[in-house]
Amino acid sequence: MPFEITMPQLSDTMTEGTVVKWHVREGDPVKPNQEIADVETDKATMPMESYEGGTLAYIAAPEGTRVKVGGLLGVVAVPGEDPAEIRKAAGADGASKPSAPVAPSGDDVKGPSEIRPAELSVRPKQAPPAGEPRERLRVSPLARRIAQEKGIDLLKVRGSGPGGRIVRKDVEEFAAAAARPAAAPAQTPPPSLPMPVPRGQSKTVPLSKMRTAIATALQRSKQMVPHFYETIDIDMEAVAALRQRMNQKLEKEQVRLSVMDFVYKATAAALLRHPRLNARFNAEKNELTQYGDVNLGIAVAIPDGLIVPVLRGIDQLGLKEIRLRSLDIFERARAQRLRREELSEATFTVSPLGNYGIRHFSAIINPPEVAILAVGSAEPRAVVRDGQVVARMTMSVTLSADHRAVDGAVAAEFLSTLRELLEEPAMMLA
Amino acid sequence: MPVIQFKEALRAAMIEEMERDENVFLLGEEVGEYNGAYKVSEGMLARFGPRRVLDTPISEAAFTGLGIGAAMCGLRPIVELMSWSFSLVCFDQLVNNAANIRYMSGGQFKIPIVFRGGNGIAHQLGATHSHRVDALFSRVPGLTVVAPSCPYDAKGLLKSAIRSDDPVIFLESEVMLNDRGEVPDEPYTLPIGRAYVRREGSDVTFICWSKMVKLCMAAAEKLQSEDGISAEVIDLRTLRPLDEDTLVSSIRKTNRCVVVDEDWPYCGMGAGIVERLYRRVFDDLDAPIGRVCCEDVPVPYNHYLEQAMQPSVPKVIAAAREVCYV
Repeated sequence: MPFEITMPQLSDTMTEGTVVKWHVREGDPVKPNQEIADVETDKATMPMESYEGGTLAYIAAPEGTRVKVGGLLGVVAVPGEDPAEIRKAAGADGASKPSAPVAPSGDDVKGPSEIRPAELSVRPKQAPPAGEPRERLRVSPLARRIAQEKGIDLLKVRGSGPGGRIVRKDVEEFAAAAARPAAAPAQTPPPSLPMPVPRGQSKTVPLSKMRTAIATALQRSKQMVPHFYETIDIDMEAVAALRQRMNQKLEKEQVRLSVMDFVYKATAAALLRHPRLNARFNAEKNELTQYGDVNLGIAVAIPDGLIVPVLRGIDQLGLKEIRLRSLDIFERARAQRLRREELSEATFTVSPLGNYGIRHFSAIINPPEVAILAVGSAEPRAVVRDGQVVARMTMSVTLSADHRAVDGAVAAEFLSTLRELLEEPAMMLA
Repeated sequence: MPVIQFKEALRAAMIEEMERDENVFLLGEEVGEYNGAYKVSEGMLARFGPRRVLDTPISEAAFTGLGIGAAMCGLRPIVELMSWSFSLVCFDQLVNNAANIRYMSGGQFKIPIVFRGGNGIAHQLGATHSHRVDALFSRVPGLTVVAPSCPYDAKGLLKSAIRSDDPVIFLESEVMLNDRGEVPDEPYTLPIGRAYVRREGSDVTFICWSKMVKLCMAAAEKLQSEDGISAEVIDLRTLRPLDEDTLVSSIRKTNRCVVVDEDWPYCGMGAGIVERLYRRVFDDLDAPIGRVCCEDVPVPYNHYLEQAMQPSVPKVIAAAREVCYV
C-alpha cells in the first residue's frame, strides 16, 4: 500500500497549513523519520517526518499550497512499489486527489480530544514530550518495562534516543526526579528588525499566517467573550529577598531565577486553589471543564507576532526547573521550533510585560481558556505602611476573566490568594 | 603452566586422542610428508606412520567422502581442510552425507568425524580463498560447529570434537595458529555447546568467537578507559548448538548487545544469532541489538580494502557507543 502523507493537526486552533518547503522531490528516497517538509501553521513553522520509508512518488501539495488538516500532501511508495505507477494513479485517481483549497476561517476550532490519530500521518520532529497520547510513543522495551514496574506515565517522559525514543536512562532520571537541567538549547539567530518605511512612502504587506491567526482569534475573543478586569497590587519585597538568597545558592549551578519564575509558580499554586479559573469554556455545549493540572501558557513576543508556549504540569515543577524549561521553550519559541504539544492545551495564560517597564495593562483572553493574567513590572513604589510613605517593591497584575465562566468574586479570591502567596512565598509550601 | 602455540595445542589434542584411541586417524592435503600446510601436524607422520596419517591428493570431495565412509565403518577420522574455502567443492559430502546419514539411516550409522582447517579471512588470499563458512554449516541440522579463540580452548574443544559421535565442523584461522596461550600438561576436555564469559561487564554484551574475541577484548578495554562503558565479552566457542542461556542471562544484565563476527551481514552468522535472541530478550533491551561484521562485498585482495571491509576495534567501539546512546 502506498502511504499517504496528510496535513497533520499541529495545534489546537489549526485548520489548515501551508507547505513552506519540501526537503525531498518526487522520486527521492525517503527514510523513516526523515524530515520531509516544513509546514507553516497559524503559530509556527514546523519540520515534519514521514513515518514510512520508501520513495516519494507524488507531491499533491507543492510549496506554497494551503491545505486543510487531513488533506493530502503527498504519497510515498513503500519498497516494492513502483513510484511511477503510483504517481500516475494519484494524479488521475479521484481517491487520492489533493484536497481543495480552503476557505479562510477561524471557525471549527478543534479541542484536543477531537484530534483523531488518523490525521497524524506525519509528526513533528523530536521527542514526544508530556501530553495526550496522540501518536505512538517510541520506547525501548526495557524502558517500557521499567516504567510499568515503577508506575511511571511514559507520556510524561521525554525521550533522548534516536527519533525521540525513550530509553532506560530517561525513565530512571524521571523516576529519580533529579531535575537535571536540559541541554542548552541551540543558538538562534537574533530576530531581524522590520524594514523601516522610507519618508514619504507607504508600504502595504499581506498579513503573515501568524498575524492573520492573531487577528482572527483575538477579534473573536473580544467580540464573543464578555471580559471583565480586576487589578491588584502585590508587595514583592519578600520575593525579591528570597530570590536573592536562592540565586546565591544556585550560582554554582549557573541558574538564575527571575521574578517571573516566582509569579508563574505562585499563579499555578493559586490556580490549584481556585480551579474555576484553571478551566476551559465550551459555549456550544454549555460546559466548563476544570483541570487538576496547570498547563501554563506564557505569551512570548516574537518578530511580527506573539506565541504562547505551554509549560505543562507547571504546578509540579520547582522554581529551578521552571527557569530551565521556560528558558528553553522561549528560545525555541523565538526560533519557531516548538513542537505541537508545546503550543496547545494551556489551561491558563500569563502575559508578562514587566520587562518593558509596563506598570499595568489588561490582556485579551485566549479562548477556550477563561482567564489571562497581565503582569506588570516589579518596581519600587511609594506606598503607605503604618501611616508612613515608604518605598516598596511593588507589582500590579490584572486578571481578565470570562464572565460567562466566572464571576467577580471568584476572580478576586484568586487574586487575593496570588497576592498572599507572593507576599509570603513560604505559603506556597503549605 | 606451559605457554604453547595454537597449532601446537591442536597437534597435542590430535596426538593425545590418537594415542588414546587407535580408531582415530588424520587425513588431508600435505598433512604427512610436508608436516602440514601450516605445520599443525608436524611430526605426526613420523610418530604414527602412514596408516594413521594419510596424505591425500587435491580432491576434497573424494577424501572427505573417504572420511565419512570410514566413520560409518567405525573409525574416527580427523579430516584437515587446508582452507575452509575449499569445502565448497565438497559441500555435498559435508551437508548431504556427513550431516544426514545418521538421520537417513534411522540411526544405524553414527558419523564420528571432525573436519578441521582455517576459516575466514587470513591475509591477501583473495575473494575465493577468504570464505567464512560459519553460517553455511551452522544452519545445517546434524552438524556441530566449533570455533575456538585460544590455544587452551582449541585443545580442549578439539579433543571433545574427536570424541563426539556426530560430525563436527572445527573452524580455525590461519592468522591465529601462532597465537600463544597457557595450556596445562594434564589432559582435559571442554564441553561443546557452552559459551564462556571471557570478560565480565555491566553495560553491553559483546557476542563473538574465534579471532573476533581478541578484537572485542581490545575494544572492551578501550571502552572502559575512554567512556567508562563496561563491556561483557562472551566467547561462543560453539556456534551450533548455540548456548542461548548464557547469552540471554548476560543481556538481561546489560540490556544491550553487539554481535561481532567476520561473516557477511545478510543471512550471516551474526544475523542468525540475533534472530535467536530477539524473542527471548526483547523486553530486556534498551536498544536494538547492534552488529559488526564484514561489508557486503567480496573480500578484496588489496591490503587496505581487505582491512577496511572487516570488523575492527573502532567499528566495535562505535557500535557499542551507539547501543549505549553515547
